[in-house]
Amino acid sequence: MAAQTRQAAIVGGNRIPFARSNSAYSRASNQDMLTATLDGLVARFGLQDQQVGEVVAGAVLKHSRDFNLTRESVLGSRLSAATPAYDVQQACGTGLEAAILVANKIALGQIESGIAGGVDTTSDAPLAVNEDLRRVLISLNSAKTLPQRLKALAGIRPGQLVPEIPRNAEPRTGLAMGDHAAITAKEWEIGREEQDELTVRSHHNLAAAYDRGFFDDLVTPYLGLSRDQNLRPDSSLEKLAKLKPVFGQGEGATMTAANSTPLTDGASAVLLASDEWAAEHGLPVLAHLVDAQTAAVDYVHGGEGLLMAPAYAMPVMLARNGLTLQDFDFYEIHEAFASTVLSTMKAWEDPAFCKEKLGLDAPLGSIDRAKLNVNGSSLAAGHPFAATGGRIVASLAKQLHEAGPGKRGLISICAAGGQGVVAILES
Amino acid sequence: MSRTVLEDAPAMPALFARAALTARGRGGDLPDTRLAREGVQVDPAQLAGYARVCRFPLADALPVTFPHVLAFPLQVALMTDRSFPLALPGLVHVRNRIEVERPIGVGEPLDLEVWAERFAAHRSGATVDLCAAVSAGGAVVWRGRSTYLARGAHAPEGAPAADVEVSVGALDRMAAQWRVPDDAGRRYAKVSGDVNPIHLSGLTAKAFGFKRAIAHGMWVKARALAALSGRLPDALTVDVAFRKPLFLPSTVTLSTAQVSPGGWDVAVRNAASDTEHLVGAIRPR
Repeated sequence: MAAQTRQAAIVGGNRIPFARSNSAYSRASNQDMLTATLDGLVARFGLQDQQVGEVVAGAVLKHSRDFNLTRESVLGSRLSAATPAYDVQQACGTGLEAAILVANKIALGQIESGIAGGVDTTSDAPLAVNEDLRRVLISLNSAKTLPQRLKALAGIRPGQLVPEIPRNAEPRTGLAMGDHAAITAKEWEIGREEQDELTVRSHHNLAAAYDRGFFDDLVTPYLGLSRDQNLRPDSSLEKLAKLKPVFGQGEGATMTAANSTPLTDGASAVLLASDEWAAEHGLPVLAHLVDAQTAAVDYVHGGEGLLMAPAYAMPVMLARNGLTLQDFDFYEIHEAFASTVLSTMKAWEDPAFCKEKLGLDAPLGSIDRAKLNVNGSSLAAGHPFAATGGRIVASLAKQLHEAGPGKRGLISICAAGGQGVVAILES
Repeated sequence: MSRTVLEDAPAMPALFARAALTARGRGGDLPDTRLAREGVQVDPAQLAGYARVCRFPLADALPVTFPHVLAFPLQVALMTDRSFPLALPGLVHVRNRIEVERPIGVGEPLDLEVWAERFAAHRSGATVDLCAAVSAGGAVVWRGRSTYLARGAHAPEGAPAADVEVSVGALDRMAAQWRVPDDAGRRYAKVSGDVNPIHLSGLTAKAFGFKRAIAHGMWVKARALAALSGRLPDALTVDVAFRKPLFLPSTVTLSTAQVSPGGWDVAVRNAASDTEHLVGAIRPR
């Protein structure tokens, strides 16, 4: 094993434009999209028939037949078939966690290069047979005699033909993620207008980034899409103000279909490597993955918000690196909901929260909004759960590279199950 | 006191039928009898079904509420016997207290004993406690006390006052929301054996004066406990009051509050109207 660790380099990334649910990619499977995304990365970095150290990716909504989704995608891609792969799943943290795992193996010298990615489809979703029917079929399958089989078949009811449809709800609380976010938004007194402002900025920033060609070497067109389908360059406060709230109840409801991310289909991939491997292959180093941290909160019985875990992960990572929240040139806070970004930032500014919940003497303080999600984020681009991490890592690495050496970027991603993943990149 | 040991669990559908037929003409004091079963083995299939319906993890120790379904048939047999003063149809489960001395292993042979006590006067009738003791290895490891209210009934002269309240703290934070489907009663009946018609369908519930089928109180209690899986001590007391019936289907909320290490207050309320279905106190022993 290597005596010393090294920082993994981010060489570049590729993703397909994100599509709204049941639209442009409605006939594409997770494997289709991940394979296309890998092939785009292969083409961009000349990796055809080459073996990279490992490909790590995942999907949040996954068919049981896709148990080896990433390996199957690799086998169908132009990468060498001798490239090992494995799947990870950490809800919306999947993509970033995959990048951390690849980076850590590179840091330890176990691999020289690797691809981290993620994919999700809410269109080609894994419908399951009704739970009662499933049990009947299992007992039918294990029945050995005709009477046993007949007895098992007698358990079938017409109502069991209704399939189980995956719900965007927390299993333990029965609440949709948006309902959870609405509770947090209310607790932190996040207003409708500031959410809409953040949303408009996300659309304008993403549109501007497309217009200046920022995504030319980050996105590969797929199935007729060349830009994210959810992007509305002409988004305005006036238009958003007309929308009715969809999450939360009564007068205080602030969360609309615009300031919440829509269900989306898409995939992303990031190429990571050691500096040496990048040099040998004549490839650039955009940034290094410096450090990362996860955290989890008790959102069921502990009274913390479902999506507040990044607030807890952040001070741990900052302290380990001797940094303050203000020591960064760019911030990428995943816009699961506009209110989530705002609640998280408000928590970091709040002396009571930072003292009582984070155990800090002083609050982490505020973030310069001009440095936040400068190329747009999930509200505009959409959020195919596992693909978001890869989108952010590649975009931030490129942004840091453009800004020059020694620039720092911070990533914060909240995830279902009360989890959060944060990371530091540096050019 | 007389004590009868039964070989098998009494057949519940027959008991409920008999209860309906023999509802009239009852009275007097509680019978001084105990019903028992010895060396009872838990049926793994029943346990798995129970765990699934109540959302407990299937483990090598019994869910806290499971011994109730072992003892319940004996309690029903006691209540349907001619000597029992109150008619089973119309009895409302208003409180349930469970004391657990230690976790019970799935394979442990269990001795069950049930009896009735505490015939008490209530402002709208009389209450009676159906008790159960579950022993393993010669020691009582589990106790259950179900308090039933008989509206319009009269407790005997000199009876104590009914004790049906459980006090809990504020409980203003929702932990979970449950969509309780209209077949929740049938599902629990299948795994618990409690085939009381008021839980099975709207039609059978109407026959007993309810506008719709109502959820089993013990299912609501079990599900609330299951939601706290992993956070409860091995030895504990769970005392719940069943307030208003939970009509099927309904959407309800569970609120929880930790009040001490291993101690929790819980409440289950209707999501729309805030009607309180269950309040409970869980305390370490």
